[in-house]
Amino acid sequence: MKRTLLKLLLGLALLPLAALAADPPINGRWRMDPTRSTALDGWSTADLVITTYGTKIGFVYDMTWHATKATLSQAVDTAQATAVTNFFRIDQRHMAVYARPTKAAQVTATWLDGGRTLRVEAQVPLEISQGNTTMRLYQEYRLLEGGNELVLIELHHTRSRPLVYRFTKVPAEAAKN
Amino acid sequence: MKRISFFLSLVLSAMPALRAAEAAAPAPAPAARAAFVMHFDGDWQVASGLPDKVLLISLQGLANRHAPQLYVVHPKNYQWEITEPLYEFYERKHHVHFTEIKSADAALTQFKSAAKGYVVWDKAVGPSLNVAFTISGLEDAVVVSEDLIPLVEQHGLEKIDDLRGRYTGQTDAQIYKDAYRRYWARCNKDEIMMMGGHRGAVMMPGMADWGVREKMFFHDLAANPERPEELAQEKKQLSELNPGATVFGWHPYGKDTEEQHTTLLSTYGLKMEGLHNLPNLSFNCQFTFTPGFKFTNNSHVALDAKLEAKDKVYLSFVQSDSIGIGVWTKPGRGQLPFAWQVTMNWTKFSPAALEYFHESATPNDYFIGGLSGPGYMYPNHIPADKFPLLMKQANDLMAQLDEHVLEIMDNSAADGNLGNADLTKETVDRYYAAFPKVIGFINGYGPARTRDLRGTQPMISYEYYIDPRRPREEVAADLEEMIALNTKRPYFLLVHVRESNDVNSLIGIVKQLTGPTEVVPLDVFLKLAASKKTYTTRYQDPADPKHFKGF
Repeated sequence: MKRTLLKLLLGLALLPLAALAADPPINGRWRMDPTRSTALDGWSTADLVITTYGTKIGFVYDMTWHATKATLSQAVDTAQATAVTNFFRIDQRHMAVYARPTKAAQVTATWLDGGRTLRVEAQVPLEISQGNTTMRLYQEYRLLEGGNELVLIELHHTRSRPLVYRFTKVPAEAAKN
Repeated sequence: MKRISFFLSLVLSAMPALRAAEAAAPAPAPAARAAFVMHFDGDWQVASGLPDKVLLISLQGLANRHAPQLYVVHPKNYQWEITEPLYEFYERKHHVHFTEIKSADAALTQFKSAAKGYVVWDKAVGPSLNVAFTISGLEDAVVVSEDLIPLVEQHGLEKIDDLRGRYTGQTDAQIYKDAYRRYWARCNKDEIMMMGGHRGAVMMPGMADWGVREKMFFHDLAANPERPEELAQEKKQLSELNPGATVFGWHPYGKDTEEQHTTLLSTYGLKMEGLHNLPNLSFNCQFTFTPGFKFTNNSHVALDAKLEAKDKVYLSFVQSDSIGIGVWTKPGRGQLPFAWQVTMNWTKFSPAALEYFHESATPNDYFIGGLSGPGYMYPNHIPADKFPLLMKQANDLMAQLDEHVLEIMDNSAADGNLGNADLTKETVDRYYAAFPKVIGFINGYGPARTRDLRGTQPMISYEYYIDPRRPREEVAADLEEMIALNTKRPYFLLVHVRESNDVNSLIGIVKQLTGPTEVVPLDVFLKLAASKKTYTTRYQDPADPKHFKGF
């Protein structure tokens, strides 16, 4: 996953200025508003940085838990299914449900609604107390009217309640700090 | 020797009859006694409420040195909620007649003879308070800030020491090195007071009466590798304690973590008893159990019973964190089966509190031993040669308390209540060897994944941890998701209920669960888990991530 991200970032660095001028509105740093989101458990704050390049979309999650900071990154591709090791989701960390670090998630991604919604579907390998299992996960990253708000809606085949996380765009200058 | 054995055998053979007679005849009531009580407010600010409390707590430690004379009741929102119920228990069961004392002035009038003088701490240098408490215990001095000097002098007390300015500009490591040089040799080596916890504008040394009474060395050194001088000084101190010693108090907030500190003392085979604000031990330690009292747990199944699990989901709720700061006084207790982790060492220094809990238990309240042994310790770090003796102590305490389940917690590699809380196989092997008679073991604080079944004894880790702030509908959804992910039946879903949750809200959560689920008492849960092993065997994997990698 790190290599994929590295390639993605390298590709971005080589982008011609013209391409940057057409920066898709979903790109940038998004900050979660916990008061308008499904309650976090095991995380205190979340920032999401989205970067698109061609058919690839990179996600970097900057998470905090009290004094602990974690940065987790992964990339998906709308042109082909991707094998993503350590697939990251904003998990409820007080559940005995663990990622399987050696087993990759199978992930597909599709742009919908004229590029305003990104659908991600994944088969996520997990370890639970009864052994290994797979969670079928469905996400939509929806850019809202005005382009300053992003909603992540996540469904699990094992959960009746959707997880809804609302993000606000961090202005580019502030995001550099 | 043989004669003694013969006599002993006669006594032992007569014991059942003696016990029967004891049960038939009403036990004599404890003799009535007089004591004093003060009611504290919740102001622990250095700039306002703390100085008075420091004076009174040090005076309490001295006044209670030879007899239980002064008890403190704290407000209901104090972390230890039991001070008032326990006060009533002393009145009712021990026939203590309390007279209220309303001010520091009145307390000094009553108890000044217990003090030989006073020591002044420096409000500008927090650790000077700990040095002052050490001096208090050694020299029988009350601890005062500058503004209280006139008050104690009005009562005829003279200055023994004055720490104002002595430690200005010094690091914590320098301060405690100096205190070590001056006082360590005369301090108690079976007990030490880690008076950490709150630091800065608010300090909460509620346990200092105990340290003063017992002449302990007070400090708040950090067990943090990023503070190497403090860590080195603390290691030196811990290494010089007597084997099996107890570390009272709590780690200093902001300087290190609970995980670091508990890991460190465990490497010396020492026990932790907290928290820093646990009050009244100098009073509590002087009462025994009331005559005729015997611990009888609310067991729901015979120790040798064999149960058969059905194809359903079994849940069991456990509250640790010591019952005194937990859910005990919250609404709804008794309406769901609940296991309560008992601080077993309270049999030694707070028997009345344990008797109070047992007396007020409902049939749904089941007590278990913990935490990890005869005190709070991280077993992955207990030296192999110290493990058997410590666990022998734990076994003895559990037998006295009629407890048959041991709760284990090792957060040495965890990040607070998250992350790696697992036991190595070597540690698990040691527990099975040390506790051949328990029904089973439970492990974790946050969720964990150490599991085993040997013979009829399962070891089950927490599957879920209920954060008291998590919306109840999300808790229900989380539990439903755990059930959906773990598709084999029976599924054993062990839940840790964090302090300050209330039982009524858990009842609401349970009602939201769909499918065949049953909440069962922990002893039943473990018996069922022994009958059909649908969980994997797992120990801490060296490849599992560790938040703190040790010293």
